[in-house]
Amino acid sequence: MRVRQLPFNYAFRNLGRSGVRLAASLVGSSLVVLLILASGGFVRGMQLTLTQDAGMQDNVMILGAGSEEGVERSQIDASVDGIAAASIPGLKERAGVIYASPEIHAALPVRESAESDEDLSSVMRGVREVALLVHPEVEIVEGHLPRAGRDELMLGELAATRLGLPEDRVAIGQTLYFDDRDWTIVGRFSAPNTVMNAEIWLPLTDLQIATNREASLSCVIVTLDRATFADADLFAKSRLDLELTAIRESDYYASIAAFYGPIRIMIIVTAVLIASGGVLGGLNTMYAAFAARVREVGMLQALGFTRLAIVMNLTEESVFAAACGALIGATLGLVLLDGVAVRFSMGAFALAIDAPVLLAGILGGLVVGFIGAIPPAVRCLRLPITEALKSH
Amino acid sequence: MTLIECRGLTREYRKGDNIIRPLDDLDLDVPRGDFLALMGPSGSGKTTLLNLIAGIDSPTRGSLVIDGTNLANLSRNKLAAWRSENVGYVFQLYNLVPVLTAYENVELPLLLHPLDRRQRHERVRTALERVGISDRSDHFPRQLSGGQEQRVAIARAIVTDPAILVADEPTGDLDKPSAHAVMSLLKELNEELGKTIIMVTHDPKTTDWATRTLHLDKGRLAETGASLTHEQEALA
Repeated sequence: MRVRQLPFNYAFRNLGRSGVRLAASLVGSSLVVLLILASGGFVRGMQLTLTQDAGMQDNVMILGAGSEEGVERSQIDASVDGIAAASIPGLKERAGVIYASPEIHAALPVRESAESDEDLSSVMRGVREVALLVHPEVEIVEGHLPRAGRDELMLGELAATRLGLPEDRVAIGQTLYFDDRDWTIVGRFSAPNTVMNAEIWLPLTDLQIATNREASLSCVIVTLDRATFADADLFAKSRLDLELTAIRESDYYASIAAFYGPIRIMIIVTAVLIASGGVLGGLNTMYAAFAARVREVGMLQALGFTRLAIVMNLTEESVFAAACGALIGATLGLVLLDGVAVRFSMGAFALAIDAPVLLAGILGGLVVGFIGAIPPAVRCLRLPITEALKSH
Repeated sequence: MTLIECRGLTREYRKGDNIIRPLDDLDLDVPRGDFLALMGPSGSGKTTLLNLIAGIDSPTRGSLVIDGTNLANLSRNKLAAWRSENVGYVFQLYNLVPVLTAYENVELPLLLHPLDRRQRHERVRTALERVGISDRSDHFPRQLSGGQEQRVAIARAIVTDPAILVADEPTGDLDKPSAHAVMSLLKELNEELGKTIIMVTHDPKTTDWATRTLHLDKGRLAETGASLTHEQEALA
């Protein structure tokens, strides 16, 4: 049997009956959506940063055996880049340059100046020019690559967040202090959705000197072309004298992402719990809204509208209010949260309010509106019509 | 010709350990086109009888046959559909939807019928003209006087052209001139459109508009001390 429905107009106009209740509904659902966007953007931003896919799929990290869980702890011979480039056939090559990037990764404290006594946590990467080939995500957006022997640095877009400094403090021409001297910032680079985006890059030799490891590297990162991972793995395993291990760069960061798994779950659980609070708030608002309309609902039944038609209409009303709140929340989320930098032990990442997160937020808001309407609507209809008509 | 036939009509409610019986084994016939006023003290069962005839309550025992349909046999949804086609309800407090205009309030019952927008518009316009309130069709209830609100409520009750109008103290909340106008309108609907009207009232003056008045007391018809059928009335 077809259910003859009440007009949507009725649900829509009922929202205007109480400005306070409407405001409570809008604020409640927009807060829930904001919360989902914040937690979703956090999880998504971290995930995007740690599960880099574009350039990483073809990259293999060659590092010290036993250092697969932390490249900062790895120490390999400084000659490994040349040996790897010569020993692994089929590495990517352009204009005679083989894509094999020797690097030092170090977590070092820096200071704003010699006078400052506050250590700022930073992640530094000592590189040569070839690093820009191996890491195509990195794009110099301002200035130039730091030159060796000149105490120059280049910072990623999120490095200021990682250091806890304002953006203008890391502009080109500013200095940072470490290893007993000032270093001038000569370049800014962008490497969206990668851990590199929060790093400080400097010439490999400069960092080798600063860390007293002139004869060693943290790793060599090679880009495969015709070669496969098995070729790089075979090279690492066959050079027992160098004590190497090979791991895909994407697998390396995936294992780190797995380490942060419990944190992500905790954030999602927290978001669900707080969203449940939003549902309870919505229930409360709708109980009050519908309770004031019991006699009217009795009249609608007396006219011949079925309970299902009335429940559907009351639900429409609640879902419509929630949808408006969700749109407000989504807009606020995009404006206020998207791209906001967050520090974490691996560096920093930007909250990512992308389409899946946005969809989850808006759906969450609608679900709050839907679940918040059903119990009050059913309760409102539980009274016999004759009793409902007597209520005030 | 009998339109409403009650036989042994009983309605009981349980309140704690007690059983309350506002309507007790009532027999009653209402002919088509009747304008019946129901009077009696509070708790006499008149509103219960009205609600049963309106199909918004169901009898505990007995039969209630209206135009050949035994309401006691209808499911909740079928009873809702039956109400939308056969009964117009006029409430004491009008019960208009405050967020809808007079026009939209009158249109509400028509949404339960397979009519297109133009057909609905025609019927709403006719109903509003019939009750003399067509110039207020765009007004919201808060912009109308009590008498005007009740006129809109009557337009809503007749817009689907039901055979029966039930009115629960339709003038109970109105001043004298408005009450007179509403009763005059109900009388017109009874005489000119042939609507069968069952009206509950506390006001003896309004019974002058009815074709007959029945008094209820403790769930039974008071005049005879027992129930009264149309045939018995005719014989008397």
